Amino acid sequence: MDARRIILTGCGWGAVFGILNCASNVFLLPSAPFISLRPQIALPMVVGITVHPVAGFLVGFVGNIIGDGLSGFGLWKFWNWHLANGLMGFLPGLVRYGGSNRISTVRDFGVLEMSVVLASGASVAFAVLLDVLFLEFMRFPSSFHSWILPAFLTDAVNGFVLVPVLLLPAGRLLITLETRTILLITALLVVAVLSTAGAITWSVWDDLSSPAATIENFYIAGIVSVILLVLGFIAALGFVRKITDPIGELTRAAEAVENGDYDLGHLGHVSARQDELGRLSRVLQGMAGQVRKREEALRSQVQELRIRIDPQRREREVAAIVETDYFQQLKKKAKELRQGMS
Amino acid sequence: MAKIVAVHSFRGGTGKSNTTANLACLLAQKGHRVGIIDTDIQSPGIHVLFSLDPNDCPCALNDYLWGRCEISQTAYEVTPTADPASSGKLFLIPSSIRTGDIARVIHYGYDVNLLKEGCQRLIRELPLDYLFIDTHPGLNEETLLSIAIADMLLIILRPDHQDYQGTAVTVEVGRHLEVPRMSLLLNKVPACFSREALTDQVAHTYGCEVVGVLPHAEEMMTLASSGIFVVRYPDHHVSRELRTVTAMIEA
Repeated sequence: MDARRIILTGCGWGAVFGILNCASNVFLLPSAPFISLRPQIALPMVVGITVHPVAGFLVGFVGNIIGDGLSGFGLWKFWNWHLANGLMGFLPGLVRYGGSNRISTVRDFGVLEMSVVLASGASVAFAVLLDVLFLEFMRFPSSFHSWILPAFLTDAVNGFVLVPVLLLPAGRLLITLETRTILLITALLVVAVLSTAGAITWSVWDDLSSPAATIENFYIAGIVSVILLVLGFIAALGFVRKITDPIGELTRAAEAVENGDYDLGHLGHVSARQDELGRLSRVLQGMAGQVRKREEALRSQVQELRIRIDPQRREREVAAIVETDYFQQLKKKAKELRQGMS
Repeated sequence: MAKIVAVHSFRGGTGKSNTTANLACLLAQKGHRVGIIDTDIQSPGIHVLFSLDPNDCPCALNDYLWGRCEISQTAYEVTPTADPASSGKLFLIPSSIRTGDIARVIHYGYDVNLLKEGCQRLIRELPLDYLFIDTHPGLNEETLLSIAIADMLLIILRPDHQDYQGTAVTVEVGRHLEVPRMSLLLNKVPACFSREALTDQVAHTYGCEVVGVLPHAEEMMTLASSGIFVVRYPDHHVSRELRTVTAMIEA
């Protein structure tokens, strides 16, 4: 990869990221004085995945400096968070899904989403560690509620939702039966969980100070959302793979038949299923068996190929022709005819 | 010296006309002057392959045989459009498709000696390097005459028992007539057949050379009777096989 291109892409998208950071700082999360709802976190992640991990790092790192500068937080004050934002672009880019760099299976998609969530967690943890070691801005446990947790929640959820959405038009997320199914289930999951969390937030928005809606309630909603998303997603991965893995196996089996390999014993566990795929698998196995039998029969027929000619019948038929007067005359003239022709 | 090739098959449907047309085209493309005479007067068909409209042909072989015209008037050029600089030419002498003409032949016959003279004159007048005689299936008088005057008898057969039996009769009759060269061409051979085993078996059984084994080609079936396969699909493996057959005919 061309280093110039990596740096240019990283800094260019970094500027966009910085401006969006400044703009979104207007909408701070309830009860979190430094953390805004920032959907733009998907930017460094997507650049890291589609271009290069280092480009992803630059988007987060440069962008956060610009954002803090524009927002008046000071260019270097929160340098640990610059590094953390860089890591959020770097880590998902570092994770390659099966070498193809294109997401076409449920496995690839699972790796992608997990890398986004884990990168968010690891980056926030890294920033906190740097703070504890060098800066000491944070106070515990209050910082955990007002800073660390909201940062992780907003980055993880935004990345989880938006990275696949952005990878789709970038051509990195291929629409296959597997990705189509997992996207659908993920979308349903996200809508269900986030609308619930959103409804809770909405209901307590106006009286966040009231005892009925304590800050803890709000955090619980956020944490539960992420837990539900992650658990639901893992369940969805298993569910979809139950459907799509056998299809892949059936396709490979059909390809084997095409190449003349009729031994489909390895389909046994698919055939054992009681659903439609199990039935398809049994039909395929039966079909391969029939084709094998037929081919063997045909082959043995060809091996037995003996050209059987009934000699008596042949003599009879030949005699019927050669004994005619016409033929006798023709035979006498044949040599002469041939010489006369050319 | 012109070579007369009588193309024959015991039964219909072996692809005789089709193969004849393709071999003749290949020879013409190689620069030879080639003629095809359709002596299958009872069920003519080869003109269709060359898209020759019978209405554009005032004279057919039938007219010559009944003394209505000269043989040279019945020859129509159907050279496949290829290299204009090539000296190769292809002529077709079609049979009439008018039902009256066909009925008349079946009813009254004709003087088969005229056929012989016609062939002679075609070779001299056009002039020709090769004359293919597309015969009627079975062994009737004009077919026997074709075999008698031919330098080479090319028998086309499919690998099935009826064709095997019938070919045995034709080969025997060809021996009686002392045809200088008798060759077998296997056509419509299913893919599961071993080519080598089949060639050995057939050559051994009849004591004749096997000049080619043509597979059952889907494309050939699709093209059916509306075009010459080797012209349309020059690079198809069937076309390559036909080219080796052509080389053996030239040898």
